[in-house]
Amino acid sequence: MSYLATSHFLDDNEFVDKYLYSMRTGELDLSWMDASTKDVHCTSANERRGLTFRDLDVDGYGFSDLPEVVRENRCYAPRGAEIPDGVPDMQASVNRSSDVWAYNVEGYVEEAMSRQWDATTDIPWAELQEAELPEEIGKAYAQLLTFLTEVEMIATDVPAKWMGQVNADFIEVKNFIALQAMDEARHAEIFRKRALSTGYGLMRASVQNEHNLKFLRDAETFSEASVTLHLQAEGNVLTMFRFSEYISPTDADKRMFRLVMQDEARHVGYGMQHLKWLMKHNPECRETLHAHLEEAENFLFGSIFANEVFEPFVILSGKGLKKENIDKGLVITGMFQMRQTEEYFERLDKCGLTDRRERSRLHEVYEMTKQGLAAQGAI
Amino acid sequence: MAYFADRQYFDDPEAIKRGTEFSEGKLILDWYEIETDRVRCTPSDPRRGLTYEDCSKGTYSWDLLPEFVRHNYSMAARGSVLVPGLPDMGYTENRKSDIWADNIGELYEESKSRRWAPAVDVDWKALAATDFDPAVTASMCQLCTTLSEVSLVAMEFPSRWVYAINQEFLELKSLLCAQMMDQARAVEVFRKRALSSGGLKRASANVQQALKELLMADNYIEGSIGINLLVGSLLLGVYRVAATASTIDAHLFRRCQQDAARLVAYGMGNLAYHLAHREGRQEVLNEYLDSVEHCFAGIAGATEMLEPLIVIGGGGTEPGQVASGRARVASIYRVVVDEYLGRLATAGLERRDRSRLPAFFAAA
Amino acid sequence: MKVDFPSASFFEALNDRMAQEQDRFTRLGYFDTTFGVTVVGPGERRRNYLLNFEVYECMGAREIDNLEGEDPDFVLEADIAQWQDMLRNIQSNGGADTDHGINTLTHFGEGMKVIYDDPERHDKLFRFSESIQEYFDLAADLKIEYAS
Repeated sequence: MSYLATSHFLDDNEFVDKYLYSMRTGELDLSWMDASTKDVHCTSANERRGLTFRDLDVDGYGFSDLPEVVRENRCYAPRGAEIPDGVPDMQASVNRSSDVWAYNVEGYVEEAMSRQWDATTDIPWAELQEAELPEEIGKAYAQLLTFLTEVEMIATDVPAKWMGQVNADFIEVKNFIALQAMDEARHAEIFRKRALSTGYGLMRASVQNEHNLKFLRDAETFSEASVTLHLQAEGNVLTMFRFSEYISPTDADKRMFRLVMQDEARHVGYGMQHLKWLMKHNPECRETLHAHLEEAENFLFGSIFANEVFEPFVILSGKGLKKENIDKGLVITGMFQMRQTEEYFERLDKCGLTDRRERSRLHEVYEMTKQGLAAQGAI
Repeated sequence: MAYFADRQYFDDPEAIKRGTEFSEGKLILDWYEIETDRVRCTPSDPRRGLTYEDCSKGTYSWDLLPEFVRHNYSMAARGSVLVPGLPDMGYTENRKSDIWADNIGELYEESKSRRWAPAVDVDWKALAATDFDPAVTASMCQLCTTLSEVSLVAMEFPSRWVYAINQEFLELKSLLCAQMMDQARAVEVFRKRALSSGGLKRASANVQQALKELLMADNYIEGSIGINLLVGSLLLGVYRVAATASTIDAHLFRRCQQDAARLVAYGMGNLAYHLAHREGRQEVLNEYLDSVEHCFAGIAGATEMLEPLIVIGGGGTEPGQVASGRARVASIYRVVVDEYLGRLATAGLERRDRSRLPAFFAAA
Repeated sequence: MKVDFPSASFFEALNDRMAQEQDRFTRLGYFDTTFGVTVVGPGERRRNYLLNFEVYECMGAREIDNLEGEDPDFVLEADIAQWQDMLRNIQSNGGADTDHGINTLTHFGEGMKVIYDDPERHDKLFRFSESIQEYFDLAADLKIEYAS
């Protein structure tokens, strides 16, 4: 038994007597009516949006007044409530705003709640039933979908792992985490369903890729987890979704990628806004982040061994396995990889980690590849 | 805690060679040769779309999940080809009968289908224009403060376990994510309901102590019974009372009730599956419930839960209203306990003669 | 056109309205339950209806002699005066007020009983509570002829 309440309620005479007295006599305590909390009446700033978290950002309850270090609330009380003696400690280990907060996190939560969709009904599965994919395309697509199914649940496990560690005062972040977990579950679902509806099924797991996933999950701090999961990995996946939409074999597949893309963009958005916040409010963590990104980039470079990820791209973008298809596919895939890396550094720049380029070995490789492609006239 | 790659790839001649070969068009294509079960899953009912049940086919079926998952500790998708070298993700929930339920697919699909958004699915403007007795308004603020605490813990329960559950149980992990979202929505709507009509009131030490004991259960099945069945059953009753405050609240709390009912349904399914596949567990779980059912009383009987329910149930604090509220709450608590014990019995755990809860709530 | 209550045509009229309001019910989500409605008239005469909901619509509503053989998830049972009171309230408000919603009627009064054998299937009353209430609220603009 890992935790026991400070009272056994059925054996606690004071508790039992008070309950029975209230129920039998109707004499209520009602001291909670005089709780020392702010009297507020929040309304929608924009009725079409309804009542949003931003509308609740008022004196006594708002996120704008959150201190850098939360010292008062260690329990499950909602922010702004009166906290009586005797509440338990929820054992949160993330109690600094700068460790989790992000500009506009309240907006991302509302967007996530309002833009939920359903992989079961929002894809024209009947239309896909009619689509016969040629063997080369079908197998390549099934392999790509296998990879995507494999990666998505890590982005469920990472936020879930941090949920209980985050102080209850950061409720908007906790809700964002919950919604991200659901988004990712839906992504794993839709890619699995699509793979199992192609007529080819799932293909081969990716060793190289999975070690990278374990690295993402086992980050030491929430910020490290966020910068590699939200910004680097999901940023890369976002570019991959855009690319996948481009190479999708049917219109219904394009729709599928557009839907997952909007969720992914929200997660990347949160990651960027968190990094910006972190750089502004806790810039001393810069070196730690660089060290973490160094290893993340090492994994990324090592993904060259994940041929079960890149080769399907080549086949899908070149539309076949003949030499001319492969040649065309390689050019398109090369451009995609360049774009992915470029966008990664752009995002870091935008968040204030501008010195990443000059310290990064991945950036060196990127520059060399770019020069090589330019010399060939490919870009 | 940090995990590192097996080498520095930037300095690895093999990696550089592979990169060069790839850019020259030398593909390996070993994955292309593998053959897996070539299924083509289709919707069994087009109105419903393509469900997880439709995809539980061939070698991909959840029916083939073994009781002990020993063959895969990685994130590989169930049914894909496993290759040497996949990492061990350290999952600790690898036994099907500890976590599974036969209604997982159905509940996951239902949770997505019946989604809603507090910002727009509650008529906040009409609520602001509704004329409430001031005591009922204050009570709703208190009740929503307490329910925020309960929902936060109900959100944390799945998050505590989801990353420890083997990836082979994908549909269950997905349902737990849906529960996290459902409870995040509850946290949101209770905060909004309180802050739109006066603000939060007082947190409850008793409620939180009871919740922490349940949340921190040593193993999954105990936690599942505690949070999904014990707390979930109580919530279904509390929402029934809260729904009587106004027509807007009726809509709001019916939605919450729907979400809580899925918690309860999974809790029942999980318990039923567990007991059907494991001998001798009745007594162990009965002993667990002997020890934690006091938490139900701690939450239901806490001043910060009980009193606002009485005021809302009766419509105010005048003696007649309080009397009516007491009668309603006493009745609903008895019903809730009866329903809770009925659910346990249906799932295979008879404890109507053993539980102390009926006597406690009958005494009032 | 007037419909009698209780009658199968009353529920058929609700079903027609449900079909007309598919967007509303689709937005509420899957609605998968089969439940019974029992109207107890003078002299304990019982009229029983079986309503079968599937996905987003009502697949059928029929009057039957005995619900027991039909194995519904649960049965909502009330005397005719209670049903009439609920429907009149729905008609005067455009939807049930809190005293006349299924939730209140089934739990705070002797007015309406929920009869069930299986707690798991009984819980469908909660899992689909908003859809069930909105279904009955469709009676708001029906012209109803009440049996005396």
